[in-house]
Amino acid sequence: MAAADDTGPAQLQQALAVRLRASPRRRLIVAAWSALALAFFALCWHLAQIDPARLVEGLPKLGHWLAQAWPPDVAELPLFGQRIAETVAMAAIGTAAATLLALPMAVLASRNITPLPRLYYPARWLLNALRGIDSFVFALLFVAAVGLGPFAGVLGIALHTWGSAAKLLADHIENAGTGALDAVRSTGAGRATAIVYALLPDILPVLLSSTLFWWEFNVRASTVLGVVGAGGIGLELKNSLDLLDFPRLFTIIVLILVVITLLDQVSGWLRKRLT
Amino acid sequence: MSAPLFEVRGARKLLGGRVVLDDVSFALERGVMLAVLGPSGAGKTTLLRCLAGLDRLDAGAALLDGADVALLRGRQRRRIAVVFQQFNLIGRLNALDNVLAGRLGHVPAWRGWLRCFSRTDVLLALHCLQRVGLLEQAGQRTDTLSGGQQQRVAIARALAQQPDLIVADEPVASLDPRIGAGILELLATLCRADGVTLICSLHQPQFARRYASRVLGLRDGRLVADLPAHTFDDAALLALYGGALASPTEAEASVPDPLDRADSTALTALTTTPHHQQEA
Repeated sequence: MAAADDTGPAQLQQALAVRLRASPRRRLIVAAWSALALAFFALCWHLAQIDPARLVEGLPKLGHWLAQAWPPDVAELPLFGQRIAETVAMAAIGTAAATLLALPMAVLASRNITPLPRLYYPARWLLNALRGIDSFVFALLFVAAVGLGPFAGVLGIALHTWGSAAKLLADHIENAGTGALDAVRSTGAGRATAIVYALLPDILPVLLSSTLFWWEFNVRASTVLGVVGAGGIGLELKNSLDLLDFPRLFTIIVLILVVITLLDQVSGWLRKRLT
Repeated sequence: MSAPLFEVRGARKLLGGRVVLDDVSFALERGVMLAVLGPSGAGKTTLLRCLAGLDRLDAGAALLDGADVALLRGRQRRRIAVVFQQFNLIGRLNALDNVLAGRLGHVPAWRGWLRCFSRTDVLLALHCLQRVGLLEQAGQRTDTLSGGQQQRVAIARALAQQPDLIVADEPVASLDPRIGAGILELLATLCRADGVTLICSLHQPQFARRYASRVLGLRDGRLVADLPAHTFDDAALLALYGGALASPTEAEASVPDPLDRADSTALTALTTTPHHQQEA
């Protein structure tokens, strides 16, 4: 015991000394990072032109509009219904197309199973580019290319979602490991057959559940696509705002909320059943 | 004497600049049960992956009936079946579908795509499941099976492949010793019955003595022993594992030996008789 007391505390003292010697340096580092973070947000505040006074001025205006919005205008409900069905349909077709395109792309963009390793990085770059450009921006381009209407919106949704869905899937494949695939390959199955046989059962639930998620996400995103003339309920939203027709606007917003909540419930329920 | 079924010549493999296999050569007759022993990191897994055609050798070759396994493409690969330490089953598919994967090298690709096999293939797969004692579990998802059951499904998959050679990479390392012994017994029995050659890496020398007809010792990527299993004694074991084991008998004592040693020698003698070599 005595021997332990001789060596133990001495070593502890030494370790403590080392730690104390290190701590002023650590404090300096923490302080530097804090200052940097503070400077960053100060700059952002300035760039974003934050002006609480304007919010205070504007709030009564909002309140006034809200008061005007009552009672909601239900005369045009059939039209709104058709427009929102258009929005849901655009999202459904765009998402489904994206999912189908995502499957081969995910195989190409998975380092561990790609049949063409040379195309791995180009595939990843393409996916990042598709993901980086919002469906809104794509829709703008396609409105110019294929004309006004929901089709432009579908193309925009499909391209953006393609990138996101394929990247998600590729990351899943890279993380899942290739044990089963190796095993099936070694039975003499061809590469494509092995991928379908060994990998598809594993990724299908992920694929379906993420497709439902993207669909729901795209319905939300495509409410604004109408603003650029790419079809759906967004068009009516923008018209109402331009005319300052608040009862109409109110009806549209409530309708969007109802449909999205409903969809959220349905897709959540379906996704729970998939896992 | 017939040409060997399987031959390895001067196998050499580098991983990350390090030599993990160096000048490994041996030849196997049809029907041999070969155990590969050696300390962890000796290169057993690398050797077996190369023999199975899953990895490429940097120099030398592994030849199945004279054909380089690294060059076997597509359905030619069905001649070598692999049993993995981690079973490598498709967890979301049932046992039968996993065993049917063993038929993919025999059937047209569309059958694999649609997972639609002929009656004959399904019956064969069911028979393989029966041989490993899992006919009752045919419809059960394999990720709900126990480890031992999963490895038996993997063995059934290998059998359904109707291979000439089964390469098993530490097939019992993920299982407890009692279940592991059962798995090896099953594997050895089935291979013997079908006249299939078996190459199996192991961590337990007593398993090698009991089930193998021949033992390869691998150390630091080099072949340091190549003996009939019954002559692989404690001295050979000590030479292979070096100072890593205080006493080889001590290491063995940790696992109860359900089979009498005399029995296992008889078994070994049986497996080394050449009656498998002229398999029809």
